[in-house]
Amino acid sequence: MTFFLQYVMRRAFQNMMGNLFPNLITIGIIAVSILIFSTFTLLAFNLTNFLKIWEDKIEVIAYLKRGTPSSEVEPLLDRTRLLEGVEIVRYVSPYDAMNFMETKLGGQKNLLQGIQPALLPPSFEIQLKKDYRNPAKIDEVVGHLRETAQFEEIQYGQEWVDAFSALVHTLRLTQWILGGLLLIAIVFITSNTLQLTISSRREEIEVMHWVGAGPGFIRVPFYVEGLIQGLLGGGLAILFLYLLHQGLLLHIPPSMQAWLAKVPILFLPPETIAWILLGGTVLGFFGSFVASTRVLRYK
Amino acid sequence: MVHVFKTYPSQISALSDITLEISSGEFTFVAGPSGSGKSTLLRILSCAEKPTRGEVVVDGVQITHPDFTKIHQLRRRMGIVSQDFKLLRDRTVNENVAFALEVTGHTRREAKGKASDMLRRIGLKEREDAPILALSAGEQQRVAIARAMVNSPSLILADEPTGNLDAKTTLDVMGIFSDLNHQGTTIVFATQFTGLIKRFPYRLIPILNGQVSDGKKVDTDEVREVKAGE
Repeated sequence: MTFFLQYVMRRAFQNMMGNLFPNLITIGIIAVSILIFSTFTLLAFNLTNFLKIWEDKIEVIAYLKRGTPSSEVEPLLDRTRLLEGVEIVRYVSPYDAMNFMETKLGGQKNLLQGIQPALLPPSFEIQLKKDYRNPAKIDEVVGHLRETAQFEEIQYGQEWVDAFSALVHTLRLTQWILGGLLLIAIVFITSNTLQLTISSRREEIEVMHWVGAGPGFIRVPFYVEGLIQGLLGGGLAILFLYLLHQGLLLHIPPSMQAWLAKVPILFLPPETIAWILLGGTVLGFFGSFVASTRVLRYK
Repeated sequence: MVHVFKTYPSQISALSDITLEISSGEFTFVAGPSGSGKSTLLRILSCAEKPTRGEVVVDGVQITHPDFTKIHQLRRRMGIVSQDFKLLRDRTVNENVAFALEVTGHTRREAKGKASDMLRRIGLKEREDAPILALSAGEQQRVAIARAMVNSPSLILADEPTGNLDAKTTLDVMGIFSDLNHQGTTIVFATQFTGLIKRFPYRLIPILNGQVSDGKKVDTDEVREVKAGE
């Protein structure tokens, strides 16, 4: 077995060195294909992460009707706290709202001069339980809140969440469609390079057939060649993506850096990297399998 | 071989109703002019082609419909030699012979040693490190025979192995085949040289137009003579 493995590895490397240029081109094309796919994966990963952070911070604000008697506020708070999915409810009086706005405006709070706090509606800031911080569940809670007559308007940034979810969804869809197309391309390219390698080794293969070399001795080195092409292509793609990611982080304008401290631009997690490398390797193998099935029939 | 037919998709009939038996240890000439069907017959015997009809048994193995996952096991019991040698030009003499052992599961060292022994037997020991292209045609054919022999096959299928050789080298190569046959190897030797057949009086199977002929028709102008050495 050790001898067989040594033989296979030696043959695979000899084959690759003997056809260095086509092999380098193949590895390069595989790397570019996987880089495109990985870039979409990285984008989708970061946007999903951003969406999660956003959803974690999502709050529902229920504005009370003006003139709601203060005696009704406390029982309404209790009823709201009992709603399924609600974690914390905080009453925000018009004065609290005014203070909040002044804090937010900072040096420009004079813009609020002349505005009476009474003009601002009182509201409930409702924080949801973790499991309820997604568009479907939020809709469920909001549905219950709408049944309450004292609420005039309910806001929770639904449109933003929906639009962002749709963006992530589209990105994921593009990633997989592109992935599918690149997958076919990789199999096609690997298969063609290996056909070239096989054809340059035609005489040797014919002699192998003559002297009774087993199919394993003939085919496995080509399979290994495909595996190595796929693995190297995948590895290069991840390396380029990492360099691009690091380059992007170095060139973030200072104005965005504070914001990005809350929403970091992450690199792919190790398990995704492992899947991409494994995918590249399997595709390389599949390409060589297709090539050898086509041209290495035993004769 | 019983009632063997071979027709190519282009409807060209290469063999037509061939029935013959070659015994173990026999030296048999399959002789006929170019295009008579000799090579097709040898290709069927080596499992490189399937007959269209008929039954073929080689060394006790039915190969009419061969199991392609097991052909290599049968091939290890045969040696194949062709007119164009089929040597690997980027390797040395020893590497060419050792290659046949390496790809059938021998370690490199073992293969090199056995190849060296075989080259000694065939008189090429002193040239074992030479690149193939530095050898004469006759020497190259001897290397091809050494490669065919190194796995100790019981049958050698030689398809016009002297076709590219001059008369003297032809006789040298024939001497090697005769020696191998005397040591018990069955040899099926396709040729169009009637001179060889006259000089080496082994069994003759004449082939003409894909059929076993009576032998008289084979000796026509199409068949070249070995001029020298006769």
